[in-house]
Parts: sequence; C-alpha cells; structure tokens
Amino acid sequence: MSYLIDDNREGIQHLLMGNEAIVRGALEAGINVAAGYPGTPSSEIIEAFSKIARDRNIYAEWSTNEKVAMEVAAAASFAGLRSLCVMKQNGVNVASDFLLHLASSGTRGGMLLVTCDDPGALSSVNEGESRLFAKLVEIPLLEPGDFQEAKDLTKWAFDLSEKIRNLVMIRSVTRMSHASGNVKFGSLPDTNAHAEYRFDGPLLDMETGPMISMIVAAPELQHGPQQEKLKKAAQLFEDCPFNTYNGPESPELLIITSSACTLYVREAVNLLNIEDRVGILKLATTWPLPPNLIKRNLMRSKAVFVVEEVLPTLEENIKILAAETALETGIKTFYGKHSGHIPSAGELNPDIVISALTKILHIDYRPVEPSFEQKTAKMAATMAPTREMTFCPGCPHRASFWSIHNAIALDGRNGFVCGDIGCYVMGTLPGGYSTVKTLHSMGSGSGLASGFGKLKQFGIEQPVLAVCGDSTFFHAAMPALTNAIHHKSPFTLILLDNSGTAMTGFQPHPGSPFDVMGNTAEALDIEAICRAMGGRVEIADPFNLTETREMLNYLMEYKDGAKVLILRQACALSPERRGKKKFDVSVDESICIGENCGCDRLCTRIFGCPGITWDTEKKVSRIDTIICAGCGVCADICPAGAIQKKEVA
Amino acid sequence: MNSINLDRDPYSIIITGVGGQGNVMASRVMGSMFVTNGFSVTIGETFGASQRGGSVMSHLRISKKSSWSPQIPRGGADMIVSLEPIEAVRVLAAYGNPGVILLSNTRPIFPVNVIKGEATYPAIEDIKTAVKNSISHAIFIDATEEALKMENPILANIIMLGAVIGLNILPLERDDFHKAIAERVPHDKIDVNMDAFDLGTRLVRQ
Amino acid sequence: MQRFGSRELVENVIRQNLCIGCGACNNLCPYFKSYNGKTTMLFPCTLPEGRCFAYCPKTEVDLDELSAALFHKPYGDDPLGYYRSIMMSRAGARAGHGLFQAGGTVSALMQFALEKRHIDGAILTDRKGIEPTPILATESKDILKCASSKYTAAPTLAALNRAIKEGFGNLGIVSTPCQTLAVAQMRLNPLQENTFRDPTGLVIGIFCTWALDFQAFKVFLSQRIDLAEIRKIDIPPPPAEVMEVFTDCATIEYPLSEIRQLVPEACSYCIDMTAEFSDISVGVMEGRTDMNTLITRTDRGQRIVDEAVSAGYLVLTDLPDENLEHLKWAADNKKKRAFAKAEEKAIVNTPAGTGPSYLRINHATLKKIRGE
Repeated sequence: MSYLIDDNREGIQHLLMGNEAIVRGALEAGINVAAGYPGTPSSEIIEAFSKIARDRNIYAEWSTNEKVAMEVAAAASFAGLRSLCVMKQNGVNVASDFLLHLASSGTRGGMLLVTCDDPGALSSVNEGESRLFAKLVEIPLLEPGDFQEAKDLTKWAFDLSEKIRNLVMIRSVTRMSHASGNVKFGSLPDTNAHAEYRFDGPLLDMETGPMISMIVAAPELQHGPQQEKLKKAAQLFEDCPFNTYNGPESPELLIITSSACTLYVREAVNLLNIEDRVGILKLATTWPLPPNLIKRNLMRSKAVFVVEEVLPTLEENIKILAAETALETGIKTFYGKHSGHIPSAGELNPDIVISALTKILHIDYRPVEPSFEQKTAKMAATMAPTREMTFCPGCPHRASFWSIHNAIALDGRNGFVCGDIGCYVMGTLPGGYSTVKTLHSMGSGSGLASGFGKLKQFGIEQPVLAVCGDSTFFHAAMPALTNAIHHKSPFTLILLDNSGTAMTGFQPHPGSPFDVMGNTAEALDIEAICRAMGGRVEIADPFNLTETREMLNYLMEYKDGAKVLILRQACALSPERRGKKKFDVSVDESICIGENCGCDRLCTRIFGCPGITWDTEKKVSRIDTIICAGCGVCADICPAGAIQKKEVA
Repeated sequence: MNSINLDRDPYSIIITGVGGQGNVMASRVMGSMFVTNGFSVTIGETFGASQRGGSVMSHLRISKKSSWSPQIPRGGADMIVSLEPIEAVRVLAAYGNPGVILLSNTRPIFPVNVIKGEATYPAIEDIKTAVKNSISHAIFIDATEEALKMENPILANIIMLGAVIGLNILPLERDDFHKAIAERVPHDKIDVNMDAFDLGTRLVRQ
Repeated sequence: MQRFGSRELVENVIRQNLCIGCGACNNLCPYFKSYNGKTTMLFPCTLPEGRCFAYCPKTEVDLDELSAALFHKPYGDDPLGYYRSIMMSRAGARAGHGLFQAGGTVSALMQFALEKRHIDGAILTDRKGIEPTPILATESKDILKCASSKYTAAPTLAALNRAIKEGFGNLGIVSTPCQTLAVAQMRLNPLQENTFRDPTGLVIGIFCTWALDFQAFKVFLSQRIDLAEIRKIDIPPPPAEVMEVFTDCATIEYPLSEIRQLVPEACSYCIDMTAEFSDISVGVMEGRTDMNTLITRTDRGQRIVDEAVSAGYLVLTDLPDENLEHLKWAADNKKKRAFAKAEEKAIVNTPAGTGPSYLRINHATLKKIRGE
C-alpha cells in the first residue's frame, strides 16, 4: 500500500482501488485524522491510512463503532484539522444520532463522511441507502463516477467542507470501492498541522465559539444558517467540474446518472452504438442538486432516463426540479425506477441499462448467438453446481454452531438463537445448521434476546440464546447485555470470541493488544467486563465439542438472569492460525462406515467442512489436505473413529 | 509504452475461481502489468462475504481510452482464466461467446452441496469435452498438480498467469510480471513466483 | 417385522408420544441422543432402514417372531410369558451387600455371572443425583452400587450399544420390560449384518408397572425441594400409597396419586409387566419385603440360576399359589388394558402401508387376551 505515497511524482499513474483513490485524494488534501469501523466494502480505507500514518503524520483508528468514529473525526475538525470518518451504509445508521447534531453545529477543519454503500447487498444483510441521510440532515452529498474522480472529488470535498463550514458526505458503492482503475496522482502537501480547539468566542460563532448543537429551541439561530450553508453548496455545485454532459446538443434521450452507474451507462451506450441519440449528464453533486445546471440540461430533451441504484433518490429530486421549472423546461417523459425500466432492488450492471435502453429506444440487440447462449446455459445448469456460502475450513464458528444446534435439540424446549452481524450470520444457513432464528443489525441479537427473556410471564417456555462476536460485543452488544443483566432477563449470550474483526479482514478492536497503526493498545478483557457487569460468565473452547455442548445445556437450564458463554478460539484466517495446521487429519478407509447404518456420512453430509470430501467410488470420506486447516474437530464427530488426527510436531 | 494493440477496446478478461485461491492477487498483478504498458485498466472484483466457499470473479477491462464498467456485459469476455474448472463453465455461460479464449485449471474444489451429496460434480473429462464442444479455444492445465510438485498449492494462480502470458495473445512480457510481483511479495518469495510463472509458460508452449 | 428408518422412528414413535427413552437407538449412530430422559434426533439420516427402528420396542414389534426365536413357539396367552419355573428368591450368603430393594436377587445373579465369567460386563442403571445413568460394570463392586430401584425411565441400552461398539460381546443386562423387548429384537440381527454376534450373555428383566418421565419428575421435585439434597427415593409396599424422598435432614412423602401423573403416555401402551423376553425376570414379592419373585425362562437362565444356588449366591424357595395367582392377575390386567388402548389407537397388526404398527401378534392369542 506504500505506493500510495512512495511515488510522489505528479502525474504518475497507478492502478488503485476506489477506496485507495479516496485515500490518495484525502492525502493530497492534507488529511490528519481518519476513523472508522470495519465493514465491507469500506474497510480498506482505514487500513490504507494506517499503513502510511507514520510517514504522513496521520492519526488513524478503528473506533468501537461508527458513531464514535464520527465523533473522533469531528474532534479533529473542531480543532482545525482535516479529517474523515468512514463506514458502510449500515454504519451511517449507527452514526446518525451524532450526524444530525454535527450537521447543525457545523465543522471547522474540512471533514468528510465517507460511506461505502453496497447495492445488491453483496456483503451485507441489506442494501440500505445512505444518500437520504444527506437530505435528512441537510449536508452536501458527492458521488464519484470513476476512479480518478474518487481521488479528485475527495480532495475537492475538503475544500467544499471548509467553504461551507460543514460536513460533506461522499458516497461510494461496492463496484467503485472494490473496483480498481488508473488514477493520475497529484502532489502531496506538507504534513505540518497544528491542532487547537478554540471556544472563547460567542456561542454560535463558527470560528471561535464552542461547537454545540443548540440547547434550546431556536431554529432560526442554527437551523436557518445551516440551510444557508446548503444553499451555498448548491451554488458551488453549479460550476463543479465533476458534473459533466456528454452527447449531442439535443439528444433523443437525456440520461442522468452518477456513481458507478456512470460506467454502466457509458458501456451500454458504447455497445448499442447510440452516442448520437443519447446524452449523458453525469452528476457528482447529487445533493443538493444545482438547479440551474439541471434546468439547462432538462431543456435538451423531452425524455429523461435516470439511472441509479437502490432507492429512486436522484430520480425524485430531479422530478421536483422538473416540476418547478416545467414552464421553461417543458413536459417530460421520465424513465427510471418509477417506470420500471430500472429494477427497484438489486445492483445494476451494463446489461440492465442495455435492456432498459433497448426498450426506451426500440433497439434490437443480441450480445451473443442464442444457440451459443442456450448451449452454455444448459452446460452450466447441468455441470456447474452452485456454491453455497459456508464457514471456512477450520472455522471455530462451525464447531460452535454444531454444539449450539445439538444443545438446543437435546434441551427439547424449542430454544432458539438470536443472531448478530459477523461471519456467524451464516448460522441462519445450513452451513451453521440453521440455528440462528433472528438476524438484524449490530448488537440486536442481544437486545432481542433480552426482550424474549422477559416474555416468561406470557407463557413463553423456550430457552433464549444469542450469539455475537468479540468486535460486535464492543460495538453494540454491550448496552443490550447491560439491559438484560439489569432486568434479570434469562438468556444465554454466546460470545464467539475469535480474537479480531474476522469478517472484514481481521481488524483490531478494543479487545486487541494493538491498534490499526501497530501501536500497543489497552486490550479490554471481555470476560472481566461481563463479570463486572454482573453476568454469570463461563468460558469454553468451541473445539472441545463435549464440554461446549454440556456447558450450553447447563446454562440453558440455569434459570437466573443473563449468562455469558465465551467460546474462545482464533479465526482460521487469523495471523496466529493461518497456514499452520495443529493436526494432520486423515481417514482410515477400513474403518469409515460411510453411507451405512451407524453414520450415513455425518462428516460430509451434515458437518459440511469443505476440507472433507466424499469418494463416490470407494464410498468413504477423505481429507482434502490442500483445503483442510487441521483443526481436528471432524475427528471428534466421527462415530467410528475413522477420521484420525495427529498433532503436528 | 507498448506498441501492441489489443484486437478489441476494451479488451475483457475474467479471472475466476473460488475464495482463497489467490484470484484477487492474480487480477491485481495482471492489471498492473497492463498499466505499466500504458493501458487504462478497470478491475471489478467480488469479495467479502462471498469469498467464504463461494465463487469469486475479477473482471479486467483493458483500454487505450478510459475506465470501463467493472462488470463485463453478458457475452462480453474476450478471455476467461479459471482457477477451478466448474467456475470456467459458469463464467462461460454468463460472459462467454464463440470466440472467447478459455484457460482453466483442472483441479476441482468441491462445493459444500456436492460434499453433502445434494449435487454432483462432473468428471473433469466431461467438463473438458463440453467446453471444447462450445468454443474453439479452450486449454486446460493441471496448475494445482504442478504447484503441489513445488510444494505450495497456492502458486497455481501464478502458474496460470504464466500460462496466460505464454499464449502470446496479450501484449505483456515476463519482465512485466517480474516488476508487478516484486511490488507485491516479500523479496525472498520473488524467485519461487518467477519459477511458477515460467512453469506455466512452458506448460502452454509444450 | 417390517423394517424402516429413522424418519419413521421419529414419526411413529417420538411424535406419537410412544418413546419411553430406553436408549435402544442411542450410540448406534451420531443421530439419536438422550438428554433429560428425552430421546432426540439431532440431524436427519437418509437411510430407509436402520437399527434404530428395528430395535425400538415401540414400533413394529413382532411378538410371534420374538417368541419363536427365544422360545420356539408363537406368542402365547400366559400373562407372564413363557417360563420354566417361578420361585421366591433372595441373595445368598456369598453375595455382597448393597442398598438392596427387596431380596437382592438381581445384584446377586449379576455378581455371580460376572465373577464366574458367564459375562464380561454388566449393563446397569446407576444414578447421578436423581438422574438415572446407564453404566457398564466390569467389576462386581460396581454392580452393588447400582442396586435399588430408579422409578424413572432410563436410557440404559445406550450403554449397551456403546459397550458393543467398544468390542464387548458377552454382556449381562438388567432391563425393564420395554428395554428387554428391545434387547430381544437386537438379538435377532434384524438388519442381517454379516459381522453380527449376539452381544448378550444374560438378560435379567425386572418387573415394571410404570416408570416416571424423568423430565417431568425432575420438574416436579425441583419445584418442591432442592434436588442437590436428595439422598434416596423409595416407594414402600402397599398400602402406603406414597413416594418417600429422603434428604439429609428430612423424609418427605408425596401421594402416589400425584406421582402417577408423571407416568408418560408411552407406559400405558406397554403389554409386558414381567419382561417376558428375558432369560430371568425378577420382581418384588407382594407382602414379603425380604424376598423376590424369580421367573426363569430360558436354558441359559436356568443354568445360571442353578449354578448361583449351588455356589451360595442365591437362595430359592417355592412361591405360594396365591402369590402366583395375584401376579398373573396383575400382569393380565396390564396386558389387557394396554392392548385395548393400542387397538383403540389402531397400532396393532396394522396392515402394511396403512400406518404405523406398534405390535404384531397372532390372532388366536390376541383374541384370548381380549377375553373373546
């Protein structure tokens, strides 16, 4: 990642991920502080900052959660530094309480909220939309349309933030953040920065007063001026160099788009060869929309096609301006999400845009011969079985859910697990033995379990369990556990402690003995915290299946209050376990019962670790030594003792 | 600057495989080889949750002009490089066309539903036959088997890259690879990567 | 006997409240496990036929097939089953002394069989707190520890299956009638396994009129006393009509009418009071707390009884006629009630393909049991 700063020659080109381009843009703007909470597809941003922190005099941190990250970044801004906070779309919800107040107090040093949305929910539990927050809290929203712009727009955004003295939101998407493209570098400024928080001036003085969200109902004093900032942004947006129009003076169809959709639109127009029929208005400033620019472009065509992902946010804002200027711009035919030309859910791609354009413009287009398409489709359907998601080989969660599943089944009272956010979301799927029965946001498993536990007076007899990871515990489960312990809600919280934020790439969290920059940090002891909170705490190694299952059954029968079982075992991809097998695992074919009465392929049919395969000819299980991570758990489930583990010397 | 042009602009390459095979590494290395040669490159990647046992794909768009969609349109691949055979089949159906060049590893990674017995994995010979019946440029190499001989199965991705360059279709040279890999692996790992690369080149030139 | 698999076992037995938790399906495979007295299937098994189903004493029990295999004739109408002799018995001077209930016959016989190597180990039911836990005893001192009644259903046969898996082949088993029935089915090698050998050396059945559902019993007691304080549980002979629970500082009595509420539905379908498919069956004696009733059924049972008597482990006397009459009356009552209930549920001699069958029995005997 050091190439982000190693080569400081202006004009040199590098292949950068969208996230790296945002980092380079911030570096060129002279950023000082960056904070975030990991979440795909945003995580590379803080990681990139951390690697160059020392060289560029930057402070970077993985905060406990997104709200804290925004507060940490805001403090830097209040002290006159340039800062950003970064999160995925769901994280903006977490930060939104502070966000509303920050937007009204305003900022001093340039400050960005970088949100990486995940249209299509490729790595999320939903495809939530963060753009509406910009409208809700009245701050400007910028969306880069390619990789170069991801860098340039970020740099521009810092200046904008300082011009209007407020936070600016930059929204990327998975196909921008996790895609890569050529980026031409600009120069890097000096790294000198001095922080001082000034508060001696009058209340509400942006330069010298205390930074507060007004304590009394006086909207005209703060809300009014905040709206003026937004108006100023709209004026600046009229001349923003990142809003561009390409196409004939008066095209048959005006396409308005932003973000990664710009690339899909360009691709579609190129493939359909309709450059002379359509014009593309690419917007980088999507809130507030610059009214004159929009008006000028609306006058180009009677037909307008808005291409965007998730909610019809841009489309609706354009329609408002079109209605307001209808006398000048004329009556339009709109195409987009409302008309059904763009699907209302899921991420876009060039094919969806092509399909919409062929309908709107009555074009006949076939990318490949139908006969070829049919032949290969049939081949894929018959020859390429789907790959369902599952836990990695050697994952402690597989063992944990095995025990949780069995404990609940044996208990026999129809117990259930409230799920949480992390790799263990797969507890809802066969890979986790379909054990998890609720799944919502960070920490909500514990909150729901706290609530379920109090339903005894209404006759509920089912044992209640919740799972949460170590990072999730600090992020949002602690308040829920506090609630449960205080109210004596009888549930069992299973803390899947795999010693890092595993799902997003093993970032440190408050329980880690080091921070993202590699400095030693105070490692908070989860066990001690839970004990201090007053919960009954037990610890087990999930790879010890019998002990874990028995402990779970014991805790489920133990009636009083909230109980915590910490299942402690490092992630198979963690630095301490990755590539290091604890056991050499093998199958004694002469003992393997296979499909017969007494086993019926427990290891391959049910346990489902990718490291074990089924020999369809010999009718025995075998270990794929390339894939096997050597945890040895399968040797303990084998009813015949055919799977054998030998400790690696 | 390389003077060779590709026969299409953008030229579209898909590198596919299963999470953990080094797919992302391969696409980054290939992408930076093109950037060094003055091309504008766009790479679209799917990773994150989907990497856990799931199919992974990198879409590379190579152009003299600009960035393109990080998702290749249907039927739009010029070259498919697959680290796993059924992923080649899957990608061929979605992005292939009769003129596509396909290079695939032969070592299966069984999906969990196959391991469970809910689905069947075809014989590798059947996959080869079916693929060769639908396109005229399909090459299968035993990259993982060769990597195992080098006692490091993860090098299959580098062997595959060597094979791609060995085809002499892309305007890239061995030196471009050396430069790109040197930026990404520790110094003491460069030689073994070069060996794997050369092995791949030899495999397709035999 | 019709053979099916785990799916039918769950459908026809567990879901129908017929499972008594005998443990016959435990430890054969990873799927069936007992916990808190309840048998659970952890994951689905796809096999159409399995030992779990074939061994279960609550589905597809072919009484004539079992009778033919053990006694060489179809199932008859004697309420006590087939037997060679019925006597009164008690432990002899050579037998060790444990916490006997009644005459100590079971412990004495098992002790003798183990010491004289008629068997290599004994499958018994021990207790952890109030929870009955099956064990494999390979020394006679362990046998004495397990003496005394448990009153709750127990997965005893789980230990039998485990011992077989561990390589034991000549085992003594002390089993309730339902467990004895399961053992008899196991001995038939219902799945025709090539490597099969009869794992039993001696099956001692114990009389049973009902057992308590462990989970319900545990809940009942835990709502009334601290389970950790319980030292012993006893039901004294009539006319007491109470269960006595002994703790360190007190003895608490619960009326049997309350306790009987905790008998699982499965027991009401049981046709067997005296463990008719055992080698030897043993029960308490009405009116004689120091003696047992001893029914000897098979040749090997007879041989062991005879040897135990000559070795001084067992003392026999004749059983008075009125006691025999009463025993037959009680056994007949249980059988009649159970058949009536099972027939009402339409699980007797169900034609193949029309639904689950609990029992298969020849019509002549069935008619006699009905009193027709």
